[in-house]
Amino acid sequence: MCPTMVLVVAVITATVSLTAFAQQPAAKLAEDLPAGAMQAKATTSCLECHEARIILQQRLSKGAWAKEVDKMVKWGAVVDASDHDALIDYLSTNFSPEQPPYEAPRTAVEKTSAENGKKKNSK
Amino acid sequence: MNSRRNFLKQFSSAALAASAVPSLLSWATSDRSAPINVPGEEGLIVRSYRFVDLETPVEYFNTWLTPVPHFFVRNHMHEPSELDADSWRLTVGGEVGKPFTLTLAELSKLETHSVVNTLECAGNGRSLYRPQVPGVQWGKGAVSTARFSGPRLRDILQRAGVRPTGKHVMFRGLDEVPGKVPPFIRSIPVEKALDSDTLVATHMNGEALTKHHGFPARALVPGWIGAASCKWLTEIKILESEFVGNFMSPGYRFPNQPIKPGDAVKPEDTHPVTGLSVKSVISGPLDGASLKSGKVAVHGTAWAGEADIVKVEISTDGGTSWNPARLGHDQAHYAWRLWTYDWKASGGDHTVLSRATDSQGRTQPATPLWNPSGYLYNAPDQVKLHVS
Repeated sequence: MCPTMVLVVAVITATVSLTAFAQQPAAKLAEDLPAGAMQAKATTSCLECHEARIILQQRLSKGAWAKEVDKMVKWGAVVDASDHDALIDYLSTNFSPEQPPYEAPRTAVEKTSAENGKKKNSK
Repeated sequence: MNSRRNFLKQFSSAALAASAVPSLLSWATSDRSAPINVPGEEGLIVRSYRFVDLETPVEYFNTWLTPVPHFFVRNHMHEPSELDADSWRLTVGGEVGKPFTLTLAELSKLETHSVVNTLECAGNGRSLYRPQVPGVQWGKGAVSTARFSGPRLRDILQRAGVRPTGKHVMFRGLDEVPGKVPPFIRSIPVEKALDSDTLVATHMNGEALTKHHGFPARALVPGWIGAASCKWLTEIKILESEFVGNFMSPGYRFPNQPIKPGDAVKPEDTHPVTGLSVKSVISGPLDGASLKSGKVAVHGTAWAGEADIVKVEISTDGGTSWNPARLGHDQAHYAWRLWTYDWKASGGDHTVLSRATDSQGRTQPATPLWNPSGYLYNAPDQVKLHVS
């Protein structure tokens, strides 16, 4: 490789490394369902169509969870009959009305556009 | 015996501690609360990533028009996986004399109209109902305002020639449905479709709709719940009656009479959710804030769907007494009104509330109107503040 190219590659590598170092820890794009005997089965049944946060934010009684599971099965969720009651127990234990609210993450803000936004929105 | 039991106890607690280390490490390297990168969407609350449901934080409600990167996003289903401007078509058919199809280029040649519209999700505020109900747990921010523009739907329907039998206008979009979920197809009454402010919108705040907001075209039904404004529009069909489907019934229906929180309601005792209710939000100070006594600028926004905001009142004593706020200058038929209130805050804990009244004589109800779907929450907004 010619000396100029070596320099270019070195600069690019340094820049990429510095950027990676300066970034915050990576956000988990997809959350997991809570640990428990039914975690794997709930993941397979529920997270084919939508992500876990749809479930993590709910706060429902056991009866309401039973209704939701039946609606989801009608809409295509595959739940073994033998797992039905255990799944409802898992959901209603982890996401009962007594649990504190789910704390949702935010989308990232790009520095430059935040500054532009401040200029545009001075009303 | 004791020493063996002790040994096992110590072993198992050591094993537990050891197994906790990997999860602690993953916490450190993958912060649950770290921001998620969604290009074009900035600082929004991620209610869900798949499907995309992003909520606007109330602190962004301090401009009349919401910048597109701050505008809430609500998807029931998956966004279209392929969207090509050249091959996109809009078909118009059903109870019409002359069905036809438009390309995006042809749609773009039609005369355009502009509407500043406050778009709100029917489920905005759902998380505030007690008892809690299933659904996306929106807080106060599934609402935003933008200038939408595009051809009038009326002009497109008149070209097709709606027959006297045409009573409802159905919209179908290109969103993709998982599993056996019924498609998100809804209809609106032909009278609202023919209103001069109902659009097939192609632009938002002067720019082409982004994919999250329904590129290349969406229905824009001003003053109504967001569900009426179908994104990624591809078919308009005039029907003899209301479309029959899950998202017309039991979806998007509201009890005719107030019901006891937690009770069920029969479908025949409900009506479709259409126009938005009267509502207000405090955008500052934020709930839980600590402030210094003296002058405090309370500010926020208020809206009422197809009606106008007549007054916004603020209480700083938990709802005992109310005083008028000052309404902002910018106004339009379907747009929210910014408001401000100058408060001389004395020391102590205060519950500050906002209550709006509209031109139809509606006022925000002191008690939330609980319903099984958690729609149209519009009790007065409140923030708890500590003043030192």
